[in-house]
Amino acid sequence: MPLDPRIDQYGASKCVECGRCTYACPASQIGGDFSPRRIMEQMLLSGKVPSNKDIWLCMTCMQCTQICQFGVQFHEVVREIRPELKKLLPPEGNHGGAPEYLERLSAMPGISPRKQRWMTPDLKLDENSSTLLFVGCTPYFDVIFRYLRTDLLDIPRSSVRLLNAAGISPRLLMDERCCGHDSYWLGDQGLFERLARMNVEAVERLGIQQLVAFCPECMVTWKQLYPKVMGKLSFEVRSVAEVVAEAIEDGRMELSRTEETYAFQDPCRLGRHAGIYDAPRTMLASTGNLAEMPRSRETAACCGNSSFVNCGPQTRLWQLERTGEAEGTGASTLVTACPKCLIHMTCAMNESVQLVERRKLPLMDIHVQTASRIIGPKKNPASGNR
Amino acid sequence: MEGTSVMVEDPEAASAPPWKPNIIAFCCNWCAYAGADLAGVNRRQYAPEVRILRVMCSGRVSPGMILKAFTSGADGVMVLGCHPGDCHYRVGNLHAEMRVAQVRELLDLAGIDPSRLLLRWISASEGELFGRTMDEFAAHVRELGPLGGGKDAT
Repeated sequence: MPLDPRIDQYGASKCVECGRCTYACPASQIGGDFSPRRIMEQMLLSGKVPSNKDIWLCMTCMQCTQICQFGVQFHEVVREIRPELKKLLPPEGNHGGAPEYLERLSAMPGISPRKQRWMTPDLKLDENSSTLLFVGCTPYFDVIFRYLRTDLLDIPRSSVRLLNAAGISPRLLMDERCCGHDSYWLGDQGLFERLARMNVEAVERLGIQQLVAFCPECMVTWKQLYPKVMGKLSFEVRSVAEVVAEAIEDGRMELSRTEETYAFQDPCRLGRHAGIYDAPRTMLASTGNLAEMPRSRETAACCGNSSFVNCGPQTRLWQLERTGEAEGTGASTLVTACPKCLIHMTCAMNESVQLVERRKLPLMDIHVQTASRIIGPKKNPASGNR
Repeated sequence: MEGTSVMVEDPEAASAPPWKPNIIAFCCNWCAYAGADLAGVNRRQYAPEVRILRVMCSGRVSPGMILKAFTSGADGVMVLGCHPGDCHYRVGNLHAEMRVAQVRELLDLAGIDPSRLLLRWISASEGELFGRTMDEFAAHVRELGPLGGGKDAT
């Protein structure tokens, strides 16, 4: 049976059905009926793509692709079959569907979003800067998830503080739209391309040299997905963590140390998707002690949800297993670099504290953590060079 | 419902018909919808641009439903429920109040005038109030112009 060309391009025919993907897959362990191995088997036997609601359980965290010995890109296969599935069996949106429709709303021509109200007077911005900070959806999340955390806006603020301490006064894109990450992975290519065009055209006009983002999803979307639609971008895309780690290594930034021990949750988009593992560790190691969880770096466990769909009680168990793993290292705080990881883990933590008596492991964003330890830029950077 | 039949666009109309707002009213089954019925029984004429969607409770209206209405071409959305204390499900309207406040904040961030979303308590006996609310909100949305027409920016 000839294989559907849509999935064959991602190496589906090379699958030997060893099942490593299913062992590694968080969605399979969370429950439900999701098994990457079985989906691959069905496709290889029938030549068709399955129409099964379980496909929405996949978080496209890339564990399966990472562990595959034969180069099958299962997370891409999932993305490829989702547009068709979306028409028949759409995913169940969480949080009243607000995240999904905000994304659609921000793609409407004629409206100009004003998400920059989080600014505080101490933040240094420069309208002619060659560095642009892409803020992403965190200001929206602050509204939707204020019942979970009241400090989400500290993430963009801290990112600007970190950039300032590294000697960069960034500029902001005033009518910034959603990056379209969720629509891309949930199979809405049309919406994604619209958002990509609007964002890239708006940024290209500014003539900047680099775009930085603290949200790993925005960063990886700009870096890897937009060029697929818009061709090569005229500027460099980096994460705030990379810029900060570079400044720390060059001795341009002075940070105070604490004796606290931090565990680091690698966000899938920062780690496996973009390959950035060391930059956040440099930040943590220079401000405190870093404790590695058994599953870290390439094998880091997912935070339990992606794109705010199909979250359920089983997801909580997975998330609590992960926070338990962090506690097991002796760390006093679990630090992550992705606003969404922070939201998902906080949700699980708050709920479990209500259900069973349990110590609440503090969760923190890495930008907030490091920015709280800024002493200032080094007075004489040259002397601080390693 | 009265008000629905006039929404059918006349194909014979002039080539460039004047802009008319699209307005969605989520009406709770027990109060606001009954209020709309009373307005109809009383032959209270009100703005024909309003399209009524009956829901069992104003608390059933999720943020996504309101945002979906805007992305699907609504220029204004109303959430109409029972007066506090009168909710058929005790506290559904209080949930609606919290959600609408949240969505108004989101709309503001997204660059949409939050006054395009209205929350009102209308009881089954308030047919006149229902008609007046429709007229006033429709006039307000007409003034704001089409969504994304440039008047939302502050």
